[in-house]
Amino acid sequence: MAETDEKASPPVTLVDPIDMSKLDPSFRDDVKSMPNGEELTACFACSTCTAACPIANQWDFKPHQLIRMILLGMREEVLSSREIWECLTCFECQERCPQNVRVTDIFFDCKNLAAEEGYEVPENVLVLGKELVDKGQLYVVTADWEREDLDLEPEVPGLSVEEVEKILKKTRTGRLVGGE
Amino acid sequence: MTSPVLVIGAGVAGMTAAIELADSGVKVVLVDRLRTIGGNALDLYKAFPTDDCFYCFEGNRTRPGIRKCFYRSAMTDQPNIDLYTDTTVEEISGEAGEFHAKLAVGPRYVDPKKCILCGKCMEHSQAFEMLSPQCQPQAVVYNPSKAEDGDKKAEEECPTEAINLNAEASEETVKVSDIIIATGYHEMKPVNVEEYGYGTHPNIVTQLELAKMLDPNGESAGTLLRPSDGEPVKRMMMVQCVGSRDERYYPYCSKICCVFALKHAVIATKERENIKVSVVYMDIRTYDRHEQYYREAREDGVEFVRGRVTRIEPRNDGSLDVIVYDSLLDKYLKSNIDLFVLSSALEPPEGASDLMSQLGLKSASGFVAPVDLVAENEVVVGKRIYACGTALGPAEVPESVNQARAVVSKILQSRK
Repeated sequence: MAETDEKASPPVTLVDPIDMSKLDPSFRDDVKSMPNGEELTACFACSTCTAACPIANQWDFKPHQLIRMILLGMREEVLSSREIWECLTCFECQERCPQNVRVTDIFFDCKNLAAEEGYEVPENVLVLGKELVDKGQLYVVTADWEREDLDLEPEVPGLSVEEVEKILKKTRTGRLVGGE
Repeated sequence: MTSPVLVIGAGVAGMTAAIELADSGVKVVLVDRLRTIGGNALDLYKAFPTDDCFYCFEGNRTRPGIRKCFYRSAMTDQPNIDLYTDTTVEEISGEAGEFHAKLAVGPRYVDPKKCILCGKCMEHSQAFEMLSPQCQPQAVVYNPSKAEDGDKKAEEECPTEAINLNAEASEETVKVSDIIIATGYHEMKPVNVEEYGYGTHPNIVTQLELAKMLDPNGESAGTLLRPSDGEPVKRMMMVQCVGSRDERYYPYCSKICCVFALKHAVIATKERENIKVSVVYMDIRTYDRHEQYYREAREDGVEFVRGRVTRIEPRNDGSLDVIVYDSLLDKYLKSNIDLFVLSSALEPPEGASDLMSQLGLKSASGFVAPVDLVAENEVVVGKRIYACGTALGPAEVPESVNQARAVVSKILQSRK
């Protein structure tokens, strides 16, 4: 019957979908193979992490969505997102996850991957990195009244930072921020 | 001598009730409208929760016989069971304790007691068929709609004279004391749910159809091939809640589809090569310990998308482009797939409402409803009328078996 042949094709919609064939399924495997990624695929998107997160309200991609994007293979979007760098690392999401997904640690893995693969690292992070490479520590503790109040010796025990500087210079941090 | 018990439907529940009554010395008339017994479960390759052939779940292991099929072979060999295949119940009259059931028995072209499965008739004519290697009774059946010239020769040469081409349909009335309704379910053919395109493309199938494709006893020996062209399936997508939890079709949750689908997803991912499976869902309801299927599926790399299907577009190469709205990401995803599987609702079988009105039974969403909802009487649906299995509504295999045993217990107590 010609009737079925004439059936109109589905109506045009304004939907602009993500083309799954253009995503990178190896991203999921990359993250899963990292030290904290073992339970990545256990995620069932309950969004407990997002409920727990103190700052997700400010984010375009919520924590459960970031995990979901990793699972789908959205490498570009995750590694170039500001969210992975803005994470406060309070670990509340990881503490509460009912499936033992190491959410915070996975974001650390993502930061490492982003830095490794040449995605932009935020300026404030680079500044901290430079401080570490140059000085071997982020905060120089000085002798003051607080130590006295705590019944500590007034003199700060010596901190050897040379080794730290040396090691950091040879790591990715060193490569990213240069150093003297 | 007391009258026998009539069991309508020889699926999981009906067979369990029949064999347990028969083992306890009660005569049973077991009726099924198909030519092989086993019901819907016959098409399942593995049944949850044991991932075994469903006839072999734990509680039955102690029974003697060939493990794979003892249950059904008992149906033909147990002297207390009178098995009627290809038979429908036309009318039931009388009252509790003395029902009269009029049975319409299809023509017995092949006598199952004489057939030795030598296969000679099948060489002569296509009208002789073996419905399934696991068919029960273990006999060839004759399909008159495929009649051809070789039929006569087959009849003449049958070494055991099992074939009678002149057989005619007959009618028989049996007197029974109790009735067990075990009429099971039917998987909805979702032709009316337009957005899923069932019936418009060969690569759009239902979950029960997929079960047949995955069965090593099936046409492709369990290899997953596209129905359109026989090419191997590399990407498969399932959609949950098709017709279930939908006021336009069935308001209830069909209960088994989540585990059913995940079981298939895991089989496709683990036991077949290179098949990528996505499951589109609104809620995953893997209640009780079935949660392990869900966890296992995620670990095996099954992709779960919480959302619904926007549209399906067939491509010229036989594949389908599917756009899905992912409600967790608030994004639309477009995938190219080979097989689209619909987890369709379980609905009451054809004829259920007739039977119920004849016996004056109550209905719950089209299934048989208990007389009162007190759990202990769940299986009592009328005076000396009982129901078990999916006749009462969607149920899994162990649940159907439990209900069947509850019915048996009720009947035995009433006969003490």
